[in-house]
Parts: sequence; C-alpha cells; structure tokens
Amino acid sequence: MKDLKEKNETKDKYAVRPIVGEKRAFATGNEVVAWAALAADADIMYGYPITPQNEIMHYWTRMSEKYGRGFLQTEDETSAGFTTLGGVLAGRRSFTATSGPGNMLMQESMCMAEMMRLPTVMIVQQRGGPSTATVIYSQQEVNLTCFGGNGEGFRIVYSTCSHQELFDYTINAFNVAWTHRFPVFVLGDGYQAKMREPVTMYDPRDKGITMVPTEPYVLKEGCAGVDREPQQMRNTYNTEEELNEVVEGLNAAYQAVIPQVVKHEEYACEDADYVIVAHGVVTRAAQAAVEYFREKGLKVGHFRPVTLRPFPGEAFRPIADRAKKILVAESALGQMRRIMTDTIYGCSTPMVNFFKPGEGISTEEIIVKVEEMMAEDK
Amino acid sequence: MAQKILRIVIAGEGGQGVQAIANILSEAAYNKGKQVLYIPNFGVEQRGGVSIAFMQISNGPIDTMKFAKADIVIALSPRSVARTAQYADKRTLFVYDSSNEIDETSLPAITKKTMAIPAIDIVKTEFHPIVLNIFVMGAVIGVTKVVDLEAAKAALEDKLGYKFAKNPSLREMNFAALQRGMQEVGA
Repeated sequence: MKDLKEKNETKDKYAVRPIVGEKRAFATGNEVVAWAALAADADIMYGYPITPQNEIMHYWTRMSEKYGRGFLQTEDETSAGFTTLGGVLAGRRSFTATSGPGNMLMQESMCMAEMMRLPTVMIVQQRGGPSTATVIYSQQEVNLTCFGGNGEGFRIVYSTCSHQELFDYTINAFNVAWTHRFPVFVLGDGYQAKMREPVTMYDPRDKGITMVPTEPYVLKEGCAGVDREPQQMRNTYNTEEELNEVVEGLNAAYQAVIPQVVKHEEYACEDADYVIVAHGVVTRAAQAAVEYFREKGLKVGHFRPVTLRPFPGEAFRPIADRAKKILVAESALGQMRRIMTDTIYGCSTPMVNFFKPGEGISTEEIIVKVEEMMAEDK
Repeated sequence: MAQKILRIVIAGEGGQGVQAIANILSEAAYNKGKQVLYIPNFGVEQRGGVSIAFMQISNGPIDTMKFAKADIVIALSPRSVARTAQYADKRTLFVYDSSNEIDETSLPAITKKTMAIPAIDIVKTEFHPIVLNIFVMGAVIGVTKVVDLEAAKAALEDKLGYKFAKNPSLREMNFAALQRGMQEVGA
C-alpha cells in the first residue's frame, strides 16, 4: 500500500523524456506504437505474444526499463486483458496490444472495462480471419473491436491509416480514455504493424498536449465511509431492473461522449456524385483515386470514418443522400458497411460493395470499380 | 498518383534473406531522402514457405500499401516465380533465379523483359551461399538504380558492421557479392 502510494506520487522518473524535440524515423508501425506509449507517459504494458503485433511488446520491453516503466507478460490474452484492467484500477496509465484470436480472448475483459468505466487502451493490429488464418493483414476485426463480447459497444475505436496516425492516436487514446472513462482502441492492421515508412515522433508536451492525469480507483487514501465515500466497483447485478438501470446509465454517458470523440474526414465530398467509403489503410488508396478522378474533372469524393465506434453517421448522412452511388471498399466482407448502413437507415442511394476479405486494396482497383459504376450510369 | 513510384517485389523461400535485402535497401533509400514504404509478407512458418517483400520508393508521398503490378519482380525459387507472376505486366522487368529448374509455364506471359540469372550457382561457386541475398541486392540495385554502390555499402556496414568487425573477410565477401550482383545484370 505504501509502496503503491509512493509510486503514484513519484512521477519524477518521467522527467527523462524518451523523445526530445521532433524525431524523424523510418520505422515499423509496432515500433511507432511503443514509442508513442512511452511519449504518452504510459506506466505499464500487459501482453501476450501474437503476430503481427509482437514487436510492440519487443520494443516496449527493450525501452521501458530505461524509462522506469513496467511490463508484464501474462500466460495468455485473457489474463493480459484483465491485468490491464488491474493496472487501471491501481491508477496506472495501462495498455495492451493484440491481434486476431488474442483480440477475441481480450473481449471478456474489455466488456468488464465497459461495465466499470475503466479507461483501458488497447492496440489491435488486425490479421486475417476467421481463426488463425493469416498473420499478414485484414480489416476483419472491426466487428470484434467495436462490438466484441456481451457488452453494448460502449467504447471508442480509432481506425488509423499511417505510422503518423498510429503515433498520434496512441497518445490521444490515453487522453480520451482517461477523460471519458470508456475503453479506447487503436485499430491498426498487419500492414501498419510490419511495414516501414517515415514518421515524425514528438513529445506531446511540445505540441501543447497535456496528458490527462490518472487516479487510482481502489486503495484510495483515508477510511472508507469515514473520510470518503466507499468505492463500489461492480460488474455483477442481482435483478433485471437493477442491470437495466445500470446499462441505461452507461448508454446515456456514452451518448453524451459521442459528439466529443466522433471523427471523420472528407475528401471532395461537397459535390460528389460518387462517394467512396473506406477506413484504415484503404483510405490512402481511396484518397489517391479521388485525386485521379478530380484531375479529370469527375465528381468523385471519399468519406473516411476515423472512429468506427462511434460511427460518424450524422456527418455521412447528407453526403450519402446527395450522392448518385456509394462504393464501399474494405478488406472484409462488409464489417464496416454493416455499421455504416445502420447509421444511415432509410438512405436510398445505391451502394456497391468492393469487399476483399483478408487482402489489400490498391488505388488502381478502386479506380476500376468507380469507372464501372460510371459506365453503368451512362 | 501524381508521383512516379518505383514498385519492387522480391520473393524467395523463407530463410533466403528476402526480407533482409528489402530492409537494408529500403533503409538505404530512406537515408538518401526518398519516401519508402516496405511491407514484409510471409506466412506462419519460421523457415520455408514463400516470403515476399513489397517495396515502394518515390520522391513524393506513397498513397497505397498494396499494388497490383510491379516495375521489378525478383523471384529466387520456382515457387516464388509461380507466386509472383501475377505482379508482372508489360512494364515489368521480371528477374528469376535459373539455378533451379523452372516450370516455363509458371513464368509471366507478358513482361517488358524476362531475365534469368543463375544467382544460387554463382554465389555457390564464386562466394558462399550465405551471401545469396547480398548478391541479389546487388542485382536489384543494378536494375533499379535506387541507390548507388556506396550507399548500399554504407547500409550494409550499418546492418552487418558488428559481424564485419569480428571477421573482416566477411566484409570483403559481402561487398564483392554486391558488386558481382550488379555486374550480373549489366550495371
């Protein structure tokens, strides 16, 4: 107890900054995530190895000791998820990272985090599915990451598209989590995990970003019921009515958070007849396709949901209504599309699916699809 | 799309050092101020299975991870030839190792140029099998000109310097294999 208290108060070790000034690097995405967590003053990572996210752990273990941070490798992902919750309960800025089957095993703990409003941070590097499938790439962990487990999806999921975003959103994830007290996920993929591309890393303080302070949920100072309110942490309830009230309360809190966190990007959507919807790395191909068509004077736009949960349906609705046709491109069989169509219920704009489960999507392929749509309309 | 992006696919059996070539080469290009995007692609095996490196090098931003067709394909085994034929079209230089017998029908039907080099035989007789990937890296540099010989040597020194320090003859052999690879493709 004393030790814990001391640790909570001793933040001096963070005086040694892992990144000084702007640091340009040519790195893998996994390396970038580990650096971002260090720069964000993360206290501890809990994890269990699974490709393609292993190097997040490798880099974290390599660097964490130097900067006085913690690491615990558990016996499996179920345990890694729950120990991450434990770290949060102790007031530590805690995170974990996983992929595929590991993501599934962590859902039980992430549901508990939803129920108890615990600000966990989890990095997911999507691999191919179902099951073991490939270690390479996919966008097939959207269902799981947004709605996994028996919860109601009270979580925030950022779908990144580059190393720069992996860095930026990993830092952001800790602040969003500790501000709103819902679990936050950074949804990358095997490409982003393994590929090397240039990135600019920085100390968040130099960018005017203040890390939201953490606080312990348990082992607080003073005597419970005398000096302070007792802490009641529950995830088990006895009656239907009691549970219903709790879940309605969680929902109300979540709905209030949505406008503050929901995020999207638009590329030439204002007058677009054809709108490409894509998330994650596929947005890069979609953006390049828009550039190609706009150079030819053709009205093609791109809508990119950055948060998949909550989905930016309100922003998408008028764009979808105005368009002649929508092309949905994703490396899964419509996992994002299902979320998207739910938010624009009643929209009558025809949609064309370009689904490549477990496989990357190129700019050229998107261009061909859009040209096919245009030809049909002639 | 506006910028010309050089797209390279290097494929071989797991353990042949394909990813090492791509790593060293992409770092060398990055150090020369290029934009580089390199994706290693492999299965769950530690050894065996076809290992592919997808590299894109450009002076401007690189928009897409995945590409359909490459400017240069280098395939180091019969299975790699079969796997990578799909990345070739009329603008592709397709280089394959001819030390092993190749099923001619697995070669891409249309390329800009198809080039057979007996890479494994050359390194076996002139050097040592361990420098196969460095020889191939020389060949890649020879056909792509993405970096010059000096930059490639510097990148090798950076990656393997600690080995060279223990055994300087390794440096000589690696540099010789690099140059031999360039020479084999006429650079």
